[in-house]
Amino acid sequence: MSTQVHSTLSEETVREISGDLDEPDWLLETRLEALDALSELDMPDVIRTPGRDWTNLDALDYESFVDPLSAAEEKERVEPEGVSVLSLSDALDEHEEIVEEYFGSVIDPQENYLTALSAALFTSGTLVYVPEGVDAEDVTIRTTMQSQSLFNYTLVVTEKSSSVTILERQESEELDGERYYSGLVEIAAGENSHVQYGSLQDVDEETYTYTLKRGTAADHATVNWVEGNIGSRLTKSSVETMLDGEGSETKTVGAFFGHDDQHFDVAARVWHKNEHTTADLVTRGVLDDEARSVYEGVQDVGKEAWDTSSYQRENTLMLSDRSEADASPKLIINNHDTEASHSATVGQVDEEDLFYMTSRGVPDELAKNMLVEGFFVPVLDEVEVEELREDLDAKIVERLDY
Amino acid sequence: MSSDQDHLKETDTEERFEFKKEQRAAVKSDKGLTEEVVRLISEDKDEPEWMLQRRLRALEHYQNMPMPTDWPGQPDLSGLDVEEIVPYIRPDVDKRGGADDWDDLPDDIKDTFDKLGIPEAERNALSGVGAQYESEVVYQNMQEQWEEKGVIFCNMDEAVQEHEDLVREYFMTKCVPPSDNKFAALHGAVWSGGSFVYVPEGVTVQMPVQAYFRMNSEGMGQFEHTLIIAEEGSEVHYIEGCSAPKYSAFNLHSGGVEVFVGEDAHVQYSTVQNWSKNTYNLNTKRAIVEAGGRMEWVSGSMGSKSTMLYPCSILKGRGASANQISIAFAGEGQDIDTGAKVYHNAPNTNSTIESKSISKDGGRTNYRGLVHISEGAVDSSTSVECDALMFDNESTSDTMPYMEINENRVNVAHEATVGKIGDEDVFYLQSRGLDDDDAKQMIVSGFIEPITEELPIEYAVELNRLIELEMEGSLG
Repeated sequence: MSTQVHSTLSEETVREISGDLDEPDWLLETRLEALDALSELDMPDVIRTPGRDWTNLDALDYESFVDPLSAAEEKERVEPEGVSVLSLSDALDEHEEIVEEYFGSVIDPQENYLTALSAALFTSGTLVYVPEGVDAEDVTIRTTMQSQSLFNYTLVVTEKSSSVTILERQESEELDGERYYSGLVEIAAGENSHVQYGSLQDVDEETYTYTLKRGTAADHATVNWVEGNIGSRLTKSSVETMLDGEGSETKTVGAFFGHDDQHFDVAARVWHKNEHTTADLVTRGVLDDEARSVYEGVQDVGKEAWDTSSYQRENTLMLSDRSEADASPKLIINNHDTEASHSATVGQVDEEDLFYMTSRGVPDELAKNMLVEGFFVPVLDEVEVEELREDLDAKIVERLDY
Repeated sequence: MSSDQDHLKETDTEERFEFKKEQRAAVKSDKGLTEEVVRLISEDKDEPEWMLQRRLRALEHYQNMPMPTDWPGQPDLSGLDVEEIVPYIRPDVDKRGGADDWDDLPDDIKDTFDKLGIPEAERNALSGVGAQYESEVVYQNMQEQWEEKGVIFCNMDEAVQEHEDLVREYFMTKCVPPSDNKFAALHGAVWSGGSFVYVPEGVTVQMPVQAYFRMNSEGMGQFEHTLIIAEEGSEVHYIEGCSAPKYSAFNLHSGGVEVFVGEDAHVQYSTVQNWSKNTYNLNTKRAIVEAGGRMEWVSGSMGSKSTMLYPCSILKGRGASANQISIAFAGEGQDIDTGAKVYHNAPNTNSTIESKSISKDGGRTNYRGLVHISEGAVDSSTSVECDALMFDNESTSDTMPYMEINENRVNVAHEATVGKIGDEDVFYLQSRGLDDDDAKQMIVSGFIEPITEELPIEYAVELNRLIELEMEGSLG
């Protein structure tokens, strides 16, 4: 099933966006092909169990959201020494061959309706390019959304034996009415390079978000993800790694904290395609009020992925009996030389812990908040970038409303 | 262990399951699924009008429902053509509703069950036995001591005649309605045979009752229905076994099982299924458990080409519980997609699921499970544990659990692990003088022990024996 395309989503609109950014023909073509494909593409997959779609994306009224020509944002890019952190139009001037080689190589623009919409309409983009052998400091990209809709695109290319950490934040300025944020992130990690990409999504709760982040890791490369989701009314987010290279590795650390009627549909996926690959997926979430989380974890071990290690843990803490936590951690194993495990738990704040603390004179509400904060510690401990860890922790504390 | 091993060597299991008999049919329906076939079955059974109407309604559901094709990673059903299936064969046995003496059966049918060891098991260990050949139950007996206490154990067709009120109330109305899924609808239209078990309030049937299902004809479908009603405070253990020889054409088994577990009652349902490797095994099994009741599913899934089976427990009353222990073994060309479904619909309900699978020679096993905790099911807990053992790189083992949690005062845990057979373990055993095959066999026996110890000894031995045959690759 596909969604009716808004009448202003025309070829003219796409040509205008592309022209404003002074894009080469190949990119305009890619946009136009994505636009063309919209009428035939499906929404991204959501989990279905009998009688039920876990997230209803078709209910979104894209017509009222999408207005790419009025896109407005405040962008902040911090470029440490040795790295190129460029807006996409600058990148097309300076490194067109890199953009052309990697754009759409990790995420097919026509993968689904929402990726195609993003590819056709993005107005905001960043290239992070790390040359061979460079160990870069923290790259920071901060996007503040100032319009009804915003389509953001990030491309990360690391050459052989380089390393970089990237922190990307999404925020929004107050605006009336419902809004839409879409972000695609492609990471091509070269041989023996090391990438940590952290994201902190804290847009307002009138905004619907769709983000797809996918990395490929060449031989002995590492792609690590930190995925923090705090804001948004409905979040559909997937963080994925293709372990293409021998000995490549990935670690995904996810954290979400939902309240009111927020809906988080988060996925962590990894494909082991080569020998000696390692993956570790860790997600923790807290739900309050009527918030709902949907978690899908996939560990896919291919036929040629000898000597694989793959682990997945997901824990959800429910603070309210009106919240709902759904989970589906999946293992797909095609190679027997594998050590794989996953676990998922759902529970509430431990009564005994609470009793212990209140009996020591800690007021009930404070004790509960301390336990919730403590619940995130094992995840926060995995975050290598101090700034991101502190930001995430601050957001959690803020939500707890001390 | 050594005496078990010796015992296993002495019995030729291949001969026990793989023998074929000439078809003996008194009534045989046409191929395919039409209203005529449904009417023929109902007429041949001399059914009351309401049952015919239920069959026809189920047929309508069947015709209106799509084949399940879009489940992630589901078995390939493209080789299944229901239009080529003969849904009904009544063997030419004199006595309708089954003989109550093995000697009254025609020699070749009696011989079939002798080879399967059923009469011997009945004498030694069981409270009663039902034996189904093709579409009809050919033997049915219940020990007198249970009959005196009001326990009913008869075949389903007889139950429709003799216990019409109970069947009319419970048959595919509350537990497995034909609208549930495509194959439940199919089953509702052409069901034949199966068992009816009724245990009155407070009665404990100490020894298991058993039903054995044998498919002998090429290209047939078997659609037995099992209805178990355990009244308040009663207890019963029901065991079913099944087998079919292998033919070049495919067979279809689409049974239906409905279990009603009354307040504080306890039902155990054990299966060792060993359908031939051209059989599509698409079953629907479900239990409704009242307050304080306990449902236990124990199953070993060995045979079949493709299995899609997810026994379901609906925990309806406060304090109800369900336990499920299962083992699946998939060898060459087999796709065993099985798991568990539990709905926690009341407070203080509890479920445990323990699933083990072994895949070998390109076989695929998948655990597919759903745990649903409804709002209000406070203080409920569930734990799911899946372990998979893989022998080689041609095989596949997947785990696809789904958890829907609507209540916060609960305890939910899911764990799964996959691993190859431990080289160190094999090496250790080899260094103690076992050859490679025996070492692996021993590791598998240890792996599945939690299942076998829940089964009566005959079944545990049979399961071990079947697995040993699979390990040798001598079957199929």
